[in-house]
Amino acid sequence: MAFKYRLEILTILAILGFCALFLYTSSIMNEAEFAGADTQGSALVAEITGKSEEEFQPLIWQWSPPSGEIEAGIFALQAAIGGIMVGWVFGYWKGQKKTA
Amino acid sequence: MEGYLPWQWCVVWWFIALPCLVFGIYRLKKVLEMDHEALPLLGVTGGFIFILSSLKLPSITGSCSHPTGTGLSAVCFGPWITSVVCAIVLLFQSLFLAHGGLSVLGANVVSMGIIGPIAGYIVYRALRDTRVNMYLTVFLACAIADLFTYITTSLELALATPAEVGGITSSFVLFMGIFAFTQVPLAIVEGIVLALVFKYIVQLKPDIILRLKVFPEEKIRAARGEA
Repeated sequence: MAFKYRLEILTILAILGFCALFLYTSSIMNEAEFAGADTQGSALVAEITGKSEEEFQPLIWQWSPPSGEIEAGIFALQAAIGGIMVGWVFGYWKGQKKTA
Repeated sequence: MEGYLPWQWCVVWWFIALPCLVFGIYRLKKVLEMDHEALPLLGVTGGFIFILSSLKLPSITGSCSHPTGTGLSAVCFGPWITSVVCAIVLLFQSLFLAHGGLSVLGANVVSMGIIGPIAGYIVYRALRDTRVNMYLTVFLACAIADLFTYITTSLELALATPAEVGGITSSFVLFMGIFAFTQVPLAIVEGIVLALVFKYIVQLKPDIILRLKVFPEEKIRAARGEA
């Protein structure tokens, strides 16, 4: 409790541990594709129901990003929106504290 | 996963999600009317839902999954308001990313916005007035919220696609293997990161945490004294 940055150190350790775990699993599992869990989930639904994955069509028409790059870009946009919100508020609170 | 839930189940989950969302909007209005300083806090907790749910992180199972980021919002505002924020994020992902979809939005709101946050909220309420460290409470609440989101997803899929042998139970186990197991390391990292975020909120703006009665005053004072 005496150390001021205990939680920060713990966070860094957890992230480093997470990275190490990833490097370890990706080195021992050669066949691992690191596909999305939802991709595997869809495959399992297809397997259990005995239908092919092409038979599962969206119930409501939906636009999908034409390529992985575009999808990654939109995901980055989503993260950026969140980042702006968080940064804006922390800055606002910091300014409030200064003028108070 | 648009198309993978039969329409009957989509309707069922929408029916559960909608009243929760309506109640969430009502609660949100009340909280914001009561205290206009709650809006920035909502921005931070909602911002982290946006950030964390956009990250696809690799896990020990050789696949990738998203953290949810909902725990912090559940601790500060409760599960109902969190469900509204989640619905916005999930709508964004349905419209622009083909991630989820409009028909399964109800099911996704139930898992990510309702059951997950409720599970996290129960953990937080159970530990709030005990001597358990405040940050440890936030960590546990966030990790549990994340895990229960994916346990619920597994259950939703299992209910809709029972296996030929063993029925719902055995397909639940299979889906858990894909969704919940992958999630364990992600949930732990997410919990620690959000606990750290909560520490910064407490340092910068303790009065809003106090006014929303997120934690008792002695605990906040003790945490600020030490950390």
